[in-house]
Amino acid sequence: MLHYGFIQNAIVVSFMISILCPCIGVFLVVRRYSMIGDTLSHSSLAGISLGLLFDKNPIIGAFLFTAFCGALIEFLRNYFRKYTDLILSIILSLSVGIAISIISSGKLHSNAETYMFGSILTVTKADMVTIFILSVISILVIVFLYHPLLYISYDEEATRVTGVKVRLINYVFSILVASSIAASVRIVGVLVLSSMIALPVATAIQLEKGFKITLIASIAISIIDIMTGLFLSYYLNVAPGGFTAIVSVIVLLLVIILKRVGHSVLREIKVHQ
Amino acid sequence: MLEVDYNQHKNKSIIHSADLCCRLNSGVYGRMEITMINIEHLWFSYTGMVPYILNDISLEIEDGEYISVIGDNGCGKTTLMRILLGFLKPTMGSISIESKYIGYVPQRNDFTNTNFPITVYEVMNSYHKLLKLKDKAIIMESLKLIGMESFKSSLMGNLSGGQTQKILIARALMGHPQLLILDEPSTGVDVDSQKEIYGLLKDMSLNQKITILAVEHNLEAVFSYSTKIFHLQNGHGHLCSPDMYTTEYLHYKRKD
Repeated sequence: MLHYGFIQNAIVVSFMISILCPCIGVFLVVRRYSMIGDTLSHSSLAGISLGLLFDKNPIIGAFLFTAFCGALIEFLRNYFRKYTDLILSIILSLSVGIAISIISSGKLHSNAETYMFGSILTVTKADMVTIFILSVISILVIVFLYHPLLYISYDEEATRVTGVKVRLINYVFSILVASSIAASVRIVGVLVLSSMIALPVATAIQLEKGFKITLIASIAISIIDIMTGLFLSYYLNVAPGGFTAIVSVIVLLLVIILKRVGHSVLREIKVHQ
Repeated sequence: MLEVDYNQHKNKSIIHSADLCCRLNSGVYGRMEITMINIEHLWFSYTGMVPYILNDISLEIEDGEYISVIGDNGCGKTTLMRILLGFLKPTMGSISIESKYIGYVPQRNDFTNTNFPITVYEVMNSYHKLLKLKDKAIIMESLKLIGMESFKSSLMGNLSGGQTQKILIARALMGHPQLLILDEPSTGVDVDSQKEIYGLLKDMSLNQKITILAVEHNLEAVFSYSTKIFHLQNGHGHLCSPDMYTTEYLHYKRKD
């Protein structure tokens, strides 16, 4: 399968997003904001529809509209302090409303469905370059902002005391989330995108290690999830998004079971000693 | 040693704090007190209109004092603390603080997510980076000061209430604050650890002249350790000694 050009593109893109998604996801999960990923992946569908409607690059459309929605969530978070879940409903309604209206109008020149479920066949060279650039810039920004992002997630007030511009970094982070979603939507699709952001991190957290090790482990798990999903979907001729999500859940369950078994064995050993 | 006429320097606005520190360190002068916090006619309401949560608060705190801010729930203690930390802006009035960096120890229950995958060392190291400190050795020195150096690889979520509180104090101390603000330091902390923590705070205020301001519910700690009490009631506040508080306020309260 590796000699096909479209597969090579898909592998490069998958590799990039398997690094990028957990880098973003780890901060979202520890802040208990994983549902933002779900909301913004729906926003990306509106961006894709807008991009296709105006005959522009749909990934850029997804990035711009998702970044706008991410910034809007951040802005409204200061407004509806006690109802943050309500903000997600507002943004979700707006995004799905725009997407459904455009798709159902019949004015799109290409099929938006491939973005719903993800596709390997449609990853073009131009897509690959766009996704590569988005991913590299995002990963570099995360490396640069690693300590402030970690601390804002852990203890926002103590971060503010040090003079770090918390609100600015939160806005930058919403753009990073948008970027990772726009980069991933081609392969994994809108519907299961949030699982790519949250599940590898949820699996890595089971290891009960520090933040850096959790991040590295979630990248490794994400590479296993996405690559396995990609290869299985090729051989079984189904959309990669679906298989990636199934593999992610299976890996998570396996880790939970192994952890439980490991704990029981250790307990037994201690009792016998 | 020369005696300093303290009254000469009563007007703090004209004295530069760095200049003062220099003179103190040079040993030319004797011990001279610096006004660490000066609040003048502070009013605050979240809407900018009546009713005010803080009504015309004026307060002057010298360095090295250990102040406990007490009062009933909703009297404005936390609001006052958040104004001092710069999280809220006063509606009217002025505040000046003679400390470049304020050490802040939040209330443990406010933010502790016990499932957060972070080790003690990561908590210290990342904060060290945020404070832009150069000397990496200060991380272990701060942990040693509170006797927690052997816990550096432990997950924060696995620590007890007292151990977590000690780490948060060590974290705040890394930036060499002249002012340390604590929000209910004994919440969720067992009695033995409380003694250790308050002993440490008292030692810092006495020997290192770090000004301590603690929002408190723990009256036993207030009377045992603080040098002064700032009592807030219905947005009004007054500063008094622990003895004065017991004789005056509690006396009137009993009469009511």
